Amino acid sequence: MMIRLLSIEFGKLLRLSSLRFSLIVLAIYPFLWAYAPGVFKAYGSYVVSAFQVPALSLLSSMQFLLPLLVAIASAELLGLEMIHGTLATVLLRPVTRSGLLLSKIIIAISYPFLLIGFMFIVSLIAGIPLGFSDFVGGTGVGPSGLVGDGLLTASGAMLELIRAYFIAGISLLPISLLSILFTVIFMNVASGALATLTVLILMQLLVVFPWLEPYLLSSQLNSYFSSGVSLGRAFALIALYSAVFAVSAMLIFERKDY
Amino acid sequence: MQTLIEVNNLSKRYGKKTIIDDISFKVNAGEVYALVGPNGAGKTTVIRLVTGLSFPTDGEVKLFGENASKKPSLRHKLGAVVEAPAAFYPYLSGEDNLKLHAKLAGGVKAERIDEVLEMMELSYARAQKLATYSLGMRQRLGVAAAVLTKPDILILDEPASGMDPLSLHLVHSVLREAARNGAAVLLSTHHLDEVVTYCSRVAILEEGKLIDEVNLHDRRQRYRAKVSQIQRAEDILADTDFVRHIKQRADELVFILAEKEDLAKVTATLFENNISLFELMPDTFNLKAYYREQININPRFQERVVR
Repeated sequence: MMIRLLSIEFGKLLRLSSLRFSLIVLAIYPFLWAYAPGVFKAYGSYVVSAFQVPALSLLSSMQFLLPLLVAIASAELLGLEMIHGTLATVLLRPVTRSGLLLSKIIIAISYPFLLIGFMFIVSLIAGIPLGFSDFVGGTGVGPSGLVGDGLLTASGAMLELIRAYFIAGISLLPISLLSILFTVIFMNVASGALATLTVLILMQLLVVFPWLEPYLLSSQLNSYFSSGVSLGRAFALIALYSAVFAVSAMLIFERKDY
Repeated sequence: MQTLIEVNNLSKRYGKKTIIDDISFKVNAGEVYALVGPNGAGKTTVIRLVTGLSFPTDGEVKLFGENASKKPSLRHKLGAVVEAPAAFYPYLSGEDNLKLHAKLAGGVKAERIDEVLEMMELSYARAQKLATYSLGMRQRLGVAAAVLTKPDILILDEPASGMDPLSLHLVHSVLREAARNGAAVLLSTHHLDEVVTYCSRVAILEEGKLIDEVNLHDRRQRYRAKVSQIQRAEDILADTDFVRHIKQRADELVFILAEKEDLAKVTATLFENNISLFELMPDTFNLKAYYREQININPRFQERVVR
């Protein structure tokens, strides 16, 4: 039954208007960075390699754009069922509530990787005119930023980017799950997505408490810069946030009246 | 007769507000049981509690003798429409919506989808996106989805909502057919005229309480007769197995037959015992008048128009 539910839910994901909107935005977005005249002013370096375009796309989208797109799609996955009234229809079939929500959660947590993967490919395409050869500088997601510390090989740059995109995808997972949790609570797409973004913005404001900053959900969005112990701590916190949000959503969904 | 739906002392409260107050009823296999009552009486809440979409504050609901919320597999044998109009995915066609239902139900033969579309006269619109369906078409598709798995329990909330008279007739014949095939049918409705023609029993709800239950099956088997020797006729008929209940009312006898076909046996018995039969006719029951009478007991509903 779970495989059947997953295939149904994946079909629903592909039909989400927010998915189409996100893909359009992310199809345009990297091109802005590849040819933006103000990059030097913002980042203190010129874009000299195709490998820097994906990094710039990621750097500029992780704090707000990608969390926003992820939160909306995750809220839509469940909230649209409430708007259409189909949630009740599905629950009347021999499907457990936990099974249904779990299938939505699995699809929702795959969504950040779908978006990130798409943006990565488009960014590489946008960078074609700049070339994929070895270059002097940094990708922007490595330890020495865009300026770099000498010659960076093409394979080294690619590995840095894949690592950063993968970690970024992981750090977006709690956003997906938080959005599902709020949608379960409010039974509404807009409220689910907005509540998620409100929490993120509030957490970004909480950096005024320096001792709290490393543990905030919003701080984990920058974990693709981390390595070693701090990356391990970020993964642990991401796992903890994700588990709390997912389990809470399951428990509430299990006893909710529809 | 097997009880397929059993509702025991069901209550639903939101904070201090009581929506459903200690309701109990049973629906047996082969019965059509209707919930009627003014808007806000609690019919939809009862339907949602019975289908497990909402959870009772007190009491329990048993389907097939078991707690359905703890055993989702029981829903293989349940068909239901709980939204009016019935809820479907607007971006899918009518047929694709039914295919999705079939998938969720664990698989249904393709011919069955054709069959239910044909049954609800929707074959011509099978490929149309649901967004293009009228309210009545959506309701008919809802009934088609509900009967897709040939369920033993059929639950429908306002199945007649938004339907023209011909579509209404279609839905009623499907419900009647389901009951004839042994399903227990529970529905909520405002259409008392239709209810009286095919429902077995009717529960009248008011402000979350079940204020009366009318056995329409018995009412339909009820006759009144004017005879000579009224007392002797009563005694003789009371001793037979084809008269379930008999009493004198003014100068006539009122009796309930075990089976509708037993009417001839009554006349034959009276004839054999030299009792003259002056008049024999169904003791017609006006549900609408009865309903109005019950509801009007509560002054809050006295201004309501009974449809």
